[in-house]
Amino acid sequence: MDIAVIDESATTGSSPLHRTSPVAKLLAFTCVLTGVIVNQNVLVVAGITLALASAVVAWRLPAKPIAALAFYPAFFAGIFALASAPDLLTGMLFVAKALTAALAALVLMFTTPYPQVFAPVQRIVPGIVGDAMLMTYRSFFLLAEKFQHLLTAVKLRSGFSRRDLLRTARGTTSALGGLLLYSFDLAQRDYDIMRLRGYEGRLRAKLPPATRPARDAAIVAAAVSLLTVALVFRVLWFALNPLSWLVPLLGAIALCAAAVYRWRS
Amino acid sequence: MSHIHIPDGVLPFWLWASGWIVALALVALAARVSRRADIRRKVPLLGVVAALMLVAMSSEIVPLAYHMNLTVIAGVLLGPWLAIIAAFIVDFILAMVGHGGVTVVGVNTVIISVEMILGWAVFRGLVGLLGRRRVRWSAGIATVLALATTTTLLVGVVALAGGGPATGRETGTLDPGTLRFGNPFSQGVYSINLLRGESARAPGPSQYLSVGRFAVVVYTLGSIGWVIEALVTSAILGYVARVRPNLVFAGAVAEARHEVLPGHHSEGRP
Repeated sequence: MDIAVIDESATTGSSPLHRTSPVAKLLAFTCVLTGVIVNQNVLVVAGITLALASAVVAWRLPAKPIAALAFYPAFFAGIFALASAPDLLTGMLFVAKALTAALAALVLMFTTPYPQVFAPVQRIVPGIVGDAMLMTYRSFFLLAEKFQHLLTAVKLRSGFSRRDLLRTARGTTSALGGLLLYSFDLAQRDYDIMRLRGYEGRLRAKLPPATRPARDAAIVAAAVSLLTVALVFRVLWFALNPLSWLVPLLGAIALCAAAVYRWRS
Repeated sequence: MSHIHIPDGVLPFWLWASGWIVALALVALAARVSRRADIRRKVPLLGVVAALMLVAMSSEIVPLAYHMNLTVIAGVLLGPWLAIIAAFIVDFILAMVGHGGVTVVGVNTVIISVEMILGWAVFRGLVGLLGRRRVRWSAGIATVLALATTTTLLVGVVALAGGGPATGRETGTLDPGTLRFGNPFSQGVYSINLLRGESARAPGPSQYLSVGRFAVVVYTLGSIGWVIEALVTSAILGYVARVRPNLVFAGAVAEARHEVLPGHHSEGRP
């Protein structure tokens, strides 16, 4: 799971979704997630997955890392399904739900810098939690990079061996131990910087103002329509289940249209 | 076992909502207690320890479907109150990158908090009992005990979610007929006979989560994970205990408070 690639896309990307206001994207994410939660029809959930995939394709978001990250929770959901699902269809539903919810979250995170995602959360959680959340995300990238450097250093000193697993374990553990000590030095440095800057117990992350309300409204409307489909199929399942194949079909058409749009532009 | 990789929409509404309520109450209490002193010191510490857990959790051991957690290490370093906040932050960020559902953040926070607090308490107890020289043993035993307990909690959560007819995957959607939160599928199955659209059947035992099978898989794969986690935790804490003993025996907050940089006076010291 490479979180660093998310931050790079969120801060350097230039798709229309990057320019959409964070509030609109958060609303849209909530709608899609609610749809995934309430719907229990694997075909409808698959249709929502395809709709999200078409957004990724049409707006040229980094498809490979998004797919890799989305399949990570799907893998664990597959293990959960194997261990507990009563039948194949329910197992498929578990995996589809994990994949779709992850895809929705990733589309949000790949197009929105993390302070803007955390800003609304910061307003409702206690100050120490909101601030530590921002510090965690920032520290993660520093520590992940440092960990890679430490592993390289261990490799160069022949700390890893395919034949000698004990040596490899020792090398990895000493790298993690080194990382732990480094992390406390990092915390000390952060503390000094925060003292110098006059930190008094609140880091403020601001949300940028909406620049294109029409686009924001369109994104929210699209998400609301997905939620409506999920709700309608949930409530009127008795009448609509025979037609549920239409949802993934529409999703597949949207994906093809997105691929053509991307190829031609 | 640390946290559950259960997708959104699988646990019943009452269960994940209760998880969120309990987790938020715990976090609010922990924040209130932690705010009493030295908040500037605690925020960066919390940040780096939570980030360390994220780094560990971001690489899985594929054949076992297991990844390192470092929860006991984080618990030992942060102490019980800050551990709760760290658990919430880690779960929230993981959910935002799709690793575990957003709805299960509450349940996961409670489970990880229990793991961290239990690890911290058992480690402290064992260090008092066995002495500082046996820090590796203390760390290993604390880790296995904490992970075994939370794995049992996890099985309990799945049992609550799918064990009985009253909870048959109810997700609490709004019933337009009665305008009450209820389960329109309480009479039948939601995905079986999906394409044929047959009428609802009364739910039978096979339509609920298989708790027994889940427990067998989790305890079998999980126990291997406990051993790996215990070995790594004991090695790391043993290593840190030799280099920076205060960090392990007094906790990170206390250790940082006594560190005086050139030209600075740290709080708590004239």
